[in-house]
Amino acid sequence: MFKNLETYLEEISYYLSGRKEREEIVSEIRSHIMEKANEEGPANEASLEKVIAAFGKPRHVAEKYLDGQPIIAPVFKRHLFRYTTFLFAIHLVFIIFAVIFRKSFIFFPFLFIPRLGFIESIMYLPAAFLTDFGIVALVLYFITSSNKEIKLPWPKFGLDLDEVKAVDGKTWAVRTASLVGAGIMLVLTGLGVHLFLKFNNIIFISANFKNFRPLLLPKPGQFVSLAILVMMAAGTIALFIKAFGASRRLACWVDAIADTIALVLIGLAFRQPFAFLLANDLPPRALTWMHTSLTVTLLIFALMVAIDLVKNLVRLGRRRLAK
Amino acid sequence: MDNELGTIETEMKRGFLQLLVLLLLERNTYGYAMVRAFSDLGYEIEENTLYPLLRRLEKKGLIQGKWELGEERPRKFYAITTAGREMRAGLLVIWKKQDEIVKNMTKEKGHV
Repeated sequence: MFKNLETYLEEISYYLSGRKEREEIVSEIRSHIMEKANEEGPANEASLEKVIAAFGKPRHVAEKYLDGQPIIAPVFKRHLFRYTTFLFAIHLVFIIFAVIFRKSFIFFPFLFIPRLGFIESIMYLPAAFLTDFGIVALVLYFITSSNKEIKLPWPKFGLDLDEVKAVDGKTWAVRTASLVGAGIMLVLTGLGVHLFLKFNNIIFISANFKNFRPLLLPKPGQFVSLAILVMMAAGTIALFIKAFGASRRLACWVDAIADTIALVLIGLAFRQPFAFLLANDLPPRALTWMHTSLTVTLLIFALMVAIDLVKNLVRLGRRRLAK
Repeated sequence: MDNELGTIETEMKRGFLQLLVLLLLERNTYGYAMVRAFSDLGYEIEENTLYPLLRRLEKKGLIQGKWELGEERPRKFYAITTAGREMRAGLLVIWKKQDEIVKNMTKEKGHV
């Protein structure tokens, strides 16, 4: 009994656990190692050490016996991240809803989104991503195990970074459009800032500036106006960077940051109690109608921004994740 | 370049080693003796590659293994089966054909 040999064989045996011929495999390796170590005189710990080192690391040796089917077939590997992205986008939207409506969502047995605060939702995102990744991996594993000829759809969603041509040096038309858009946005933002500095508010009922009638009360009006101005400024900066920037990556970063700012501001806007926002008395029916339409508009906007954010994050992280 | 050559060599060896084992097993022998025999022929193999290969060939019924406890330590001796002989004949035909193609091509194109 040589301690180093037994330790080595035990390790190989550990990696082969679950295989019924494990003992026989180990016996054959033992026989080989002893045979070789005895070539130049009786085997000892030192000669065995050399032979063991030449035979290979236990895991490497065991893996050569485990040449079974891959967990996920190579043809489905590209689907792993694409489908995870799609699922995560849906998950993200419900996380936003959970924060905004302060409700939990259950899609048994796949998703459970608890009632979350804003900071908690940020902390929850990595767990959500890993859950989605696990679900997709599990489904692909079952498809691989079934050994059937299954052709999975390949949704594009404009996720491939190579397809993003907005800041490609050759596409001058796109560059010019970004520049014109940036110019218009700059003028509008400038006008908004001017109004804000003058009236502390940019949302008003009448366009008559001599008799300024704001839609909202001063405090919420100031907050909502500031939120809109920040979003406009972020959009303007994003368009300028995209018009003059050189890399697609930079454009993705800019979009992702602008989307994040927009989402935060939308989330904060939802927190405002609507009934105490308006500066003018409105009939209850009109108030309800206004509340509903504003909520739906903001939700659609939040959904669009959330999808764009996920797309940009995936574009940025795709290659890193694949590595 | 060397690294790439090594990778391709490993891929080529995978099939070739099966043929060599089936050829060598005209006489019953055990794993370590096979490694020595290949080495004497100038063909070095990774020792940990041979045993999983023997196991696969045994599972396919091309060879048959039997433990012998008579000598100083137990050894698993392998023998070729009838199915193994048929497979060996088929592999030799493929090998000869491939060898011929390579010879003709290198002669025609003037490669080394």
